[in-house]
Amino acid sequence: MNRKSKVSRRERSEFLWGWMFLLPTMAGLIILNIIPIFQTIYQSFFKTGAFGKGNVFIGFDNYGQLFSDGAVWQALWNTCKYAVVEVPFSIAIALVLAVFLNGKIRGRSIWRTIYFLPMVAAPAAVAMVWRWLYNSEFGLLNHLLRGIGLSGVNWISNPNIAFISVAIVGIWSVIGYNMVLFFAGLQEIPRDYYEAAQIDGANGINQFFTITLPLISPTMFFVTVTRVIGAMQVFDSIYMMMGRSNPALVKTQSLVYLFYKYSFIEGNKGYGSSIVMLLLMVILLITMIQMICQKKWVNYS
Amino acid sequence: MKRKWWLTAAMAAVMAAAVVGCAGKAGNETAPASAGETKQTAESSGESGNTAAQGTLTVAIWDKNQEPGLTEIMKDFTNETGIKTQIQVTPWEQYWTMLEAGATGGSLPDVFWMHSNEIARYSEYEMLLDLTDRIKESKKLEMDKFPKDIVQIYNWEGTKQYAVPKDIDTIALWYNKTMFDEAGVPYPDKDWTWDDYAEAAKKLTKADGSQYGFALRPTNDQAGWNNIVYDMGGYVISDDKKSSGFDQPGTIKALTFITDLMKEGYAPPYEVMAENTEEALFEAGKVAMITAGSWMLPELCNNDYVKANCDIADLPKDAASGKRISIYNGLGWAASANTGMPEEAWKLIEYMGSKEAQQKQSDLGIVISAYEGTTDNWIKAYQGFNLQAYLDMMSDLVIRPYSKSTVAWNNMSHEKLIDAWTGAKSVEDVCKDIAQEMNAMLAQE
Repeated sequence: MNRKSKVSRRERSEFLWGWMFLLPTMAGLIILNIIPIFQTIYQSFFKTGAFGKGNVFIGFDNYGQLFSDGAVWQALWNTCKYAVVEVPFSIAIALVLAVFLNGKIRGRSIWRTIYFLPMVAAPAAVAMVWRWLYNSEFGLLNHLLRGIGLSGVNWISNPNIAFISVAIVGIWSVIGYNMVLFFAGLQEIPRDYYEAAQIDGANGINQFFTITLPLISPTMFFVTVTRVIGAMQVFDSIYMMMGRSNPALVKTQSLVYLFYKYSFIEGNKGYGSSIVMLLLMVILLITMIQMICQKKWVNYS
Repeated sequence: MKRKWWLTAAMAAVMAAAVVGCAGKAGNETAPASAGETKQTAESSGESGNTAAQGTLTVAIWDKNQEPGLTEIMKDFTNETGIKTQIQVTPWEQYWTMLEAGATGGSLPDVFWMHSNEIARYSEYEMLLDLTDRIKESKKLEMDKFPKDIVQIYNWEGTKQYAVPKDIDTIALWYNKTMFDEAGVPYPDKDWTWDDYAEAAKKLTKADGSQYGFALRPTNDQAGWNNIVYDMGGYVISDDKKSSGFDQPGTIKALTFITDLMKEGYAPPYEVMAENTEEALFEAGKVAMITAGSWMLPELCNNDYVKANCDIADLPKDAASGKRISIYNGLGWAASANTGMPEEAWKLIEYMGSKEAQQKQSDLGIVISAYEGTTDNWIKAYQGFNLQAYLDMMSDLVIRPYSKSTVAWNNMSHEKLIDAWTGAKSVEDVCKDIAQEMNAMLAQE
């Protein structure tokens, strides 16, 4: 009892205000994220009727169907392939650009704006434009290829190429965002290190690998974790770019695409939910591995 | 060490939470997002004699091409009854998401279009206003003037009528006159068989890949391969809606006929067709023939290239059976079960189904009206095109295949047919596979 009286009025008011400021975010998180998570888990055990009515409890039947559904595993594999292409390239390119645009280059802010622009454009609009660029018959890319005497490429209808084409759009869209995060990381590195390195005779490439890269690793870690999660959730570009009669769709559709198809086109929300649960588990696993592996390469100075 | 591991797990969980959170959110937010896209049009506020304080009926449709014409008809309705209406256009892709969200949240539009793909679950869960008794008592509405099949679509298990037919659509053949002239092929006429079609496709195909005979996608069922299947004695679903017809010899024969033409190279490579609609290829002068539904008229007839070079003919018939079938479908006007203005909503539906409004719908060239004998003026809608072909096709109609789970088996069959189209699997294997899976789906209905 004695201890409690020691909490001053000031401390109490700070406590209250602290929670007040947290409230809007907490409310959003709970209503838009936490509650839907539990609803999704709940739904995945039901054969759902239309309009939120007529749900029948079926235990683990959805999961049983999930494990024997070839399309789901193919979609998981597609998603991983996409992530393997998108994540490393979007990070590497963004980092190199960030280093260059962090230096003294003429028109620096214009370049930064240009690279960040795709982030501002609506993803659906971006996908539509790329869809036309990629069109095998009337698209600009094949027009140029034919112009120099090469044969056209079926960018989005060849099963072996389509996921790369989609990933290129993903990389292009996200470079600007990654770049901005790297800018923040680069600001943190004290200039003295570079000066000292210069005096010791290290060139730009040496500096990049011995100073920039180790010291930016915390930012890199954050970008990697969020990018992997983002890439595993790819949906809009596939949905917008690939038509339903596209022969490459089966080899390109992601888990979220499959979830959308089952839940919202075919109205089977229960099965859709179980697919999302699988995705959740996969992402959870990958993220945990990343968390454990970070000790090996992330440098918190 | 142990504590740290848990910290790691917790952090991973929080990050991963974003996934499911987003997934759930996507579902909940689709509705408002698409509602945002919904274009609201000016109220049709005629000078009504009845100025009593009444609300405005919200009317949801998905085809913006029909909006001006329907607004005009509803203006007449407002003048007659004093009930105001407001049309909201939501594109087809978002329309059903919007309607589903509305039904789930109890905020459906007052009056809206229904389609054979979706009517089953709306009836099953009683989301629609039961019109049975009102139709019986109505003096304006004569249900026997509408095609039986269309009335039947919107009838729930023979007891409840949930919608009144609005229009019907038929399929016809579009051909490029310039290409036919160049190749020296006579224009399609009423004696044309599918063999003539194949012969023409061959002659119209150029070896350098700049021009092909025809284009047809596996997703183009009603306006495409369905017609040939029924002509050749096959079917998609049995009359009792209990079994699939994909394993029928006629169905396999028809699909083999189409895929053989593709193997011969009379259609563009599958990848090109997958990325471009038949209409786009036709409008670009890439293919000489396509089959298209009457709902495509505003698109095709307003295209300058099509206007200058193309015309419409009846679909070919099958030489063996002599059948020239057009698959047809028709929309219905339905109302929400929990609308605040059931009487007003009913009056609008009754009016839209009356001979007067149906006649006007055809006269304005909006669509082919469902009401018997109101379609004569429709052919004047687009000058310079032989629209009569679409009306000719009404002599042998088969309703678009549907059951309670149409969307599910339809999508499944489209996906599997891709392998037949590309030649990756034999037509027979694909058809048997589809039949098996479709039968399983039908058994669950």
